[in-house]
Amino acid sequence: MIANMMETAIKIKTFIMLGWRNLWRQKRRSLVVILSITIGVVLMLLQIAVMNGMITQMLDNNISTKLGHITISKKGFFDDMKLESNFFPDARMLEKISKEKNVVAITPRVKTFAMIRTSEASRGVIVMGIYPDREKNISKMNEYTLKDEGSRYLDDPASNDILISKSIAEKLDVTVGDKVVLLVQDKDNEMTGVGLTVKGLFQTPVRDYDNGVVYMGIKRLQKITGLKDNVSEVMVITKNKNIVDSVKPKLVKNIADNNLEILTWKEMAPFLLSAIAMIDKQMVIFYFIVFITIIFSIANTLIMSIMERFHELGVMKSIGTRPSQIFFIIMFEAMNLGAVGLAVGVVVSIAAVNILAIKGIDFSLFMEAMRQWGAGSIIYPLLFVRDIVISVVVVEFTTLLAAIYPAFKAARIKPLEALHYI
Amino acid sequence: MSIITISSLTKIYDGGGIEVKALRGIDLAIGRGEFTAIAGPSGSGKTTLLNLIGGLDHPTSGALTVAGSELNHMKPRELSDIRLNKIGFIFQAYNLIPVLSALENVEYILLLQGVARSERRDRSRRILEEVGLGREINRLPKELSGGQQQRVAVARAIVSEPELVLADEPTANLDQTTGSGLLDLMHDLNHQKNITFLFSTHDQMVMDNAERLIRLSDGMIISDEKKKSKKESSVKKTKKKK
Repeated sequence: MIANMMETAIKIKTFIMLGWRNLWRQKRRSLVVILSITIGVVLMLLQIAVMNGMITQMLDNNISTKLGHITISKKGFFDDMKLESNFFPDARMLEKISKEKNVVAITPRVKTFAMIRTSEASRGVIVMGIYPDREKNISKMNEYTLKDEGSRYLDDPASNDILISKSIAEKLDVTVGDKVVLLVQDKDNEMTGVGLTVKGLFQTPVRDYDNGVVYMGIKRLQKITGLKDNVSEVMVITKNKNIVDSVKPKLVKNIADNNLEILTWKEMAPFLLSAIAMIDKQMVIFYFIVFITIIFSIANTLIMSIMERFHELGVMKSIGTRPSQIFFIIMFEAMNLGAVGLAVGVVVSIAAVNILAIKGIDFSLFMEAMRQWGAGSIIYPLLFVRDIVISVVVVEFTTLLAAIYPAFKAARIKPLEALHYI
Repeated sequence: MSIITISSLTKIYDGGGIEVKALRGIDLAIGRGEFTAIAGPSGSGKTTLLNLIGGLDHPTSGALTVAGSELNHMKPRELSDIRLNKIGFIFQAYNLIPVLSALENVEYILLLQGVARSERRDRSRRILEEVGLGREINRLPKELSGGQQQRVAVARAIVSEPELVLADEPTANLDQTTGSGLLDLMHDLNHQKNITFLFSTHDQMVMDNAERLIRLSDGMIISDEKKKSKKESSVKKTKKKK
């Protein structure tokens, strides 16, 4: 049994070797096919890498600004953000959640609608009350805060400081150090206003976020709204965004209050998942283009090669090569063509992605569109092992598929007919 | 005992609506170890007969047994196995695999037969040395002369020690000296290994060297002449010396 397997392996090795040598009989023709496969693979992998970068940045930016990985809030708060949907963040509950294995950081927030105004203009916004220090572990607001012309991130949760986006500052015609008035409804539905100083300006990669959200200290906002120590939500960051579905049930166990709900970023932002699904579908189109390129070039090359070797294949059959063995010789020849093109394509793609990832690809020309998607204007391409595996499967599968017909034709060559063919 | 038994063998080709009778009821038996030539003018049917014996073509009617196997109704795969294991082929145009070296060309047959690598290498080297190509084993066919290529083809045909070697005009592309050398080589192999050789030929030198000469004309055997065997001659010469 083992001896038979060894012999089969040796035969396969010889057939691969035959296929390899046959490949280089027409060097130029084989190189053209290999080049076309290489170009197809490089274009496919670069496209995938850019899309990966875009998706990753889009998710990370949305998570790092508004979503977090998991949010705990009063039932219905996510759909209808009312101030009265608040709760007291029980210390024991928070401690249990913090100690959960895959939880990295948690922080409470107060979140409500407000009006920000100056003597020049006013604007409806969502005001976010945060613990500035704890927020650093949750969101990237500290990083997104511009650190020039006196602009600084918040530091005191009880201060009269406010952090607004650069775009809101332009619309309100204010800058760092200027005063703005924030009008909010308190827990008794009474309008109340407070004068705040612009401590800093921020710019996130998510345009809508910049246009609609401002930050201030949570203690100050709790005082204005009369919430005392109550909060609107508790943000939870897990070890990575992909494990939220497994972490959520563990958090649910730790929360006794039935009025609270736990939502993952996937539940809060289904549009992101739809966008990813759409991009994945676009990828299928790219795979298909590569598929078509390969299938025709390989099939064409092999048919030409078989016609040229018609006599030789007849000789091989005459001296005892079985039809199935001829079939495999041609299949291995195709496999070699695909493998060389693929190997060169993958190496070139990995090198290109690594070089491009140093500084990122500047999509500033499409700045607004990119910010609208929340991806940022500089995309850092990313290539995962999964993508390389898929490209290997697509290229080799396509190559072998393209070779089936020529290989079948070769296997069916009648030796006598072929011997007379010069 | 016969290695080839043929009775009432016919082969009719369809030449664009016109029937071409290539063989018309051949009856023939070739014994093991014979060194036989089939001669005849072009179109006499000698190559057709050789192709049928080699399982490269199917007869229209009649019975054909080669090395104990009836070839008439065999499937392509079964015929491949017969050609691989029982018959060696030598073609007029050498027909070596151009991407394989002389050694690999010879080894290829043993590989298909599933012979272990070391044994394969040893046997192929030995047989190439026997045919006088011990120094050319790593050369590709294009790097060898016509005579050398035909010697590789002979080595390939006999390396697996088949029961029968079919040679279709093996000397046709060779000069007189090379052809004569090749014929001597095949004669020696016939004597030493008792391999049956069956040639189709136009070449008078091959006919003179054959121990049995079958003449075909118009698809029929017109003469079947057994000559004095070189084996017998050499035995008698040895006795006289004693």
